[in-house]
Amino acid sequence: MNTVLSLTAILFFPSGLFLLASGLLFEWADRKLVARFQNRVGPRWFQPLADVVKLLAKEEIVPDGVHAGLFTGLPIVALASVLTAALYAPLVGLPPSYSFPGDLIVTVYLLSLPTLCVGLAGANTIDRFSLIGATRALTQLFSYEAPFLLALLGPAIVTGSWQIDEVMRAANGRWLLLTQPFGFVVAVIGLMGKLELPPFDAPEAETEVVAGALTEYSGRGLALFHLAKDVCLVVGLTLIAAFYLGGVPNPLVYFGKTLVLLLGIAGLQSLFARLRIDQTVSLWWRYGTLLVLAQWFVMIAWKVLVS
Amino acid sequence: MNTTQQAERFTIPIGPQHPALKEPGHFALTVDGEIVTSASVRLGYVHRGIEKAVEERTWVQNLYLLERVCGICSHIHATAYCLGVEQLAGVTAPPRAQAIREVVAELERIHSHMLWFGVAAHEAGFDTLFMYSWRDRETVMNLLEGLTGNRVNYSANVLGGVKFDIDSAQADAILSGLDFLEKRTHHYLDVVSTDLVFLRRTRGIGVMTRQQAEVLGAVGPTARASGVERDIRVEAPYAGYSEYPVSIVMDTTGDLEARFEVRIKELFESYRVIRRILRDTLPPGDLTTRVPRRIKENETVIRVEAPRGELFYFMKSNGTDMPERIRVRTPTICNMTSVIRLTVGHQLADVPMILVGIDPCFSCNDRTAVIQDSCGNRQHWTWEKLRQYGIEFYR
Repeated sequence: MNTVLSLTAILFFPSGLFLLASGLLFEWADRKLVARFQNRVGPRWFQPLADVVKLLAKEEIVPDGVHAGLFTGLPIVALASVLTAALYAPLVGLPPSYSFPGDLIVTVYLLSLPTLCVGLAGANTIDRFSLIGATRALTQLFSYEAPFLLALLGPAIVTGSWQIDEVMRAANGRWLLLTQPFGFVVAVIGLMGKLELPPFDAPEAETEVVAGALTEYSGRGLALFHLAKDVCLVVGLTLIAAFYLGGVPNPLVYFGKTLVLLLGIAGLQSLFARLRIDQTVSLWWRYGTLLVLAQWFVMIAWKVLVS
Repeated sequence: MNTTQQAERFTIPIGPQHPALKEPGHFALTVDGEIVTSASVRLGYVHRGIEKAVEERTWVQNLYLLERVCGICSHIHATAYCLGVEQLAGVTAPPRAQAIREVVAELERIHSHMLWFGVAAHEAGFDTLFMYSWRDRETVMNLLEGLTGNRVNYSANVLGGVKFDIDSAQADAILSGLDFLEKRTHHYLDVVSTDLVFLRRTRGIGVMTRQQAEVLGAVGPTARASGVERDIRVEAPYAGYSEYPVSIVMDTTGDLEARFEVRIKELFESYRVIRRILRDTLPPGDLTTRVPRRIKENETVIRVEAPRGELFYFMKSNGTDMPERIRVRTPTICNMTSVIRLTVGHQLADVPMILVGIDPCFSCNDRTAVIQDSCGNRQHWTWEKLRQYGIEFYR
């Protein structure tokens, strides 16, 4: 019975198929919101699904000069890692399927794997746009990853545990957004950097490097990378909502809070011009990291002084 | 070049097909990391042979053909051609026609600058601004359609005048449309001069000094943003510009921000002059005068200010009803060298912005290309050879 429940949790609900479906739904919501902000009509609700189905049905062209195994393997690793990360996240407001002390670090690591895979995928091909895109993707990874991790560790420090389940229970009903505003802002913007959303879309800036690291990808590989990104969006939103927005006790609250977050992210996406890669790096290291570190300092000082 | 050198040189090909380019052109950029160390351009992918075709058609038929040199600034090409033919034939179009030509030319400038503005915002990754400016551009497109019946290729000119009159209802529509556009343009000027993220992509990028602009032969808003006082509408007024003058819009910094501001401020100048023409009531009189079918042997040079800069026509007649030679020099070809010069030392991310900063229009400037290999050997393609090549290529 236990095995059946585990398999259901991994393959269908809340991870697995349900997660893929909600990833596509969130992608649609994001695209629709940005489109409406930009005075466009936007896609129909099934457009992300249609894109994926179409890509999966297409022939995957393996270009000359690549390691074929890596080329086909990397998208699978990317999707698998974010799907694994989802097992430790409180999806749909339910407690995480699996939990162990320190799973927060593992989850954040698993969430950054897709970007690493994208970087490797770009470096694997001999296409120049891919190479430049891969360089930029990895540069960006190194700049946002540290602040993003630090921002997610903020609530963990308050709770005194690095287990998502426990942090979540402690954060339930407490809006850490109010006590750790910098952490929240950095976490949201870090998620945008992770997903290469505008204005942090220099790695895939179409007017400079066509499609960046994924220029040579078509068919299945591209579809899997897109799905990985969608799932990453869902898991990231879930974590931020659970940590900073007073927890996600039930499905209704879960969808409400994540969609409000998505609304904010869509607004930020349509507000700015694209940052150059050097500007992105300086933004993260000069402001993002420093803000979070300053907040950490305050938190630790508070803890020491109060206790 | 040996292999080690080749490995050290990392060349990014932008074009002939690239999302940053709306038309084909090839830019080979050598980069060191993100910094561009050298750049070269190759044009000529969309050569259409219009100059040759012109020699086999009558003066009247050519109007149709030359209006299609450019899809965006079509009216100004037709105006330049008509002014040239009128000069060759020794007639002048009536003042009312000249004023209407100016109205359409300025409306076209508004549409062209707003189109450019959207494209430039898109190159900077600011898609929201792109969508909004193109939505507002629809206003002027509708005005042009209401006036001429077409959104592009307005076909307003005929030899010796214009095809249509502007009645009071149309004038009112234009005036109210301009009020809306002016409000929006104030907003856009505000955005390009205060939006901090956008300014980081434009301020101090692609700086062209006044001296450089003069040496490189830059024209139009690109040159005016560098402090070169060059505007044919002011220097050598044509059509209605002597009666309804415009004033020159200048900036001195010469960076991308200046190019944005010059183009946007030119819009205000266009609004002002169109209002003046339509409110002052157009000069009375005919719309056309008669132009002879055959034109005696003669030659002339016509310069007009297209939205992108100086447009130059050389025209030669031979006494028949067809021209002997018409040479068109479009502004993009004058500004192209500045792109090559300015991109060096900038980041790869700035290249599309600098390129779009001159408002390039590739198919207008493409002429027959002579291919020269690195040893200086020229390949001459005869018609027979080209035909054979085409047959072999698609076999």
